[in-house]
Amino acid sequence: MLEYIIRGLLNGSVYALLALPMTLFFTTAATVDFAIGAYALLAAALATAVPGLLGIAVGLLGAVGASIVMCIVYVLLKRANKEGIRVALASFGLSLALSSIVLMVWGTKPFVRQTFTTMWEIGGFRLNPQGILNMLVAVLLVISAWQVLQRTQLGRMMRAAAANAQGAELAAIPVIGVQCATIVAGGLLGGIAGLLILYSSGLDFTASLGLTFVGFASAIIFGIQSPLRCLAGGLAIGVIEALSAGYTTGMVTSMVPSLFMLIVLLSGQLGGSRYSGDRP
Amino acid sequence: MSWRRPNTVIMLVVGVLACAIAPLGATWLDTTILTGVLALISLSAGLSFGQAGILSMAQGAFAAIGAYSTAVLSTRFGLSPWVGLLLALLLPALLAWALARVVSRMPELATALATLALATLVEILARNWDSVTGGYIGIAGIPPIAGFEKGWMFNILVWVFVVLAVLMHENLMNSAHGRALRIIKHDRTRAMADGVAVAPVLSAMLATSGAMAGAGGWLYAHYITYMSPGSLDTYASISALLMAVVGGPGYILGPVLGTFLLNLLGKLLPAQEAQGLFYGGALIIILIVAPEGLLGWSHRLLDRLKAREPAAPGKAGAAAAATGTTATSTSATTVEAERRAIEAAP
Repeated sequence: MLEYIIRGLLNGSVYALLALPMTLFFTTAATVDFAIGAYALLAAALATAVPGLLGIAVGLLGAVGASIVMCIVYVLLKRANKEGIRVALASFGLSLALSSIVLMVWGTKPFVRQTFTTMWEIGGFRLNPQGILNMLVAVLLVISAWQVLQRTQLGRMMRAAAANAQGAELAAIPVIGVQCATIVAGGLLGGIAGLLILYSSGLDFTASLGLTFVGFASAIIFGIQSPLRCLAGGLAIGVIEALSAGYTTGMVTSMVPSLFMLIVLLSGQLGGSRYSGDRP
Repeated sequence: MSWRRPNTVIMLVVGVLACAIAPLGATWLDTTILTGVLALISLSAGLSFGQAGILSMAQGAFAAIGAYSTAVLSTRFGLSPWVGLLLALLLPALLAWALARVVSRMPELATALATLALATLVEILARNWDSVTGGYIGIAGIPPIAGFEKGWMFNILVWVFVVLAVLMHENLMNSAHGRALRIIKHDRTRAMADGVAVAPVLSAMLATSGAMAGAGGWLYAHYITYMSPGSLDTYASISALLMAVVGGPGYILGPVLGTFLLNLLGKLLPAQEAQGLFYGGALIIILIVAPEGLLGWSHRLLDRLKAREPAAPGKAGAAAAATGTTATSTSATTVEAERRAIEAAP
């Protein structure tokens, strides 16, 4: 029981890392970037192609490059004054295209790498050091994102853009620029998450949509307002997944993210008040 | 079938052409049948997104439910495919109706995500419910429909379904329900104030679209005679939606045009793996260049050409009225055309 929970916490920290860009982008632009999972996939694929530490750098660069493409698409769509749903659709298209590129270049083989061959024994549990490393990276990044949001000028601009885009624009805040920065940060975070997954459980070309899903489910389960909540959400999803893997069938385990997403959405957590009378 | 239904007439001509070229060869036959089935599923996506404003990413799942229900009925119980059709229409419609009752109160983005989550759940269920769906292996040996065993006969059946779907769609948009839908899409609060029951209308719409997708799945199952979780998956949902968006979701024939273009151009690709790149790239380019789809883009082009001609006041008004009837739901473009006509009048 306790072992499942610990394993779940370690897996869940990566989910939190995927949820973080969702939260940031949703709060600054009120839409969803479906391509987060594809950035992670691209980073992992590129990192396997180049050996050593250079591979990590190339992977992250690739993910950031892909998110810059998303940025350009976003600015072009925004210029035509299109609502958020079209941005989400376009990011879906980007996700399809990136997965297809990975499939074309690398084929169907799974990507996985192991850094640590030994397992640590702590209090009777066998733990992979990579899991601990994932946890540390995730917690560090989430807390620093939270600090950036709360303490810095950039964070204040992001919050202003989220609260009232028009007002922020009038206060000389480059709203589109802030949103673009968020997309690129999302690419970087997605890339880091992809690398961590590459070094722990591995992934293949079909993973991108699933990763996006898990990230989004973790982002909304406790409300999409703050990075700390997405850490909690990611850990919770990880624990529930590990517990259901231990005690139920594989079917229930694979259903966990979508099921949670459906329940949270149906309970009206995501901007539910918009159609209850006020004009959009 | 008068001039009041131009889209159905066009569709009828296209359908007859598709049936005429089908006997040319086995590849042609296969291509036209699959294009017809895809067009039906994509029409259902266009119905829900273009007319009701619900971005449904579950059309593939609805089609899969239709396909599985007829597969199970005809292989396990030996029932006629027509009984299967009944279930293939009913089950997705019920599921879609139940989903829409909850979802239609939510903003667009949440709706899209909820349908996507539902589609994933259906797919996982199909993969794991071994006793009914056959799990990963799927169901093989689905019998062809009696009387339509020959390929060209089946092809006619497929296109009859497509033409019927277009006819019903056009009738709907010409009715009071269609006008109510147009108000809802434009402004929900206004629709409520006008006495339109928003949630029931939207739910009925998504249920209809689910049934249409279910019919597509039914045709698919009886043509391929094999159904597995990979056949009509989330990818199929997304490509159906994508074809509708590329063609023009606000136009009745938009999804059909999108299916023709993407499916036929996709055949020219060097490798099957490049399909995602082609589809994704096409989607992004269309969203940026022609947000109303290809039909919306050409419609706008025609408008611009018309506006350039020095038209007499009465003629401009007539032109605006004419565009009003061809555009099915894009109230924005119609309003724009009217505004232009008013400006041109003095």
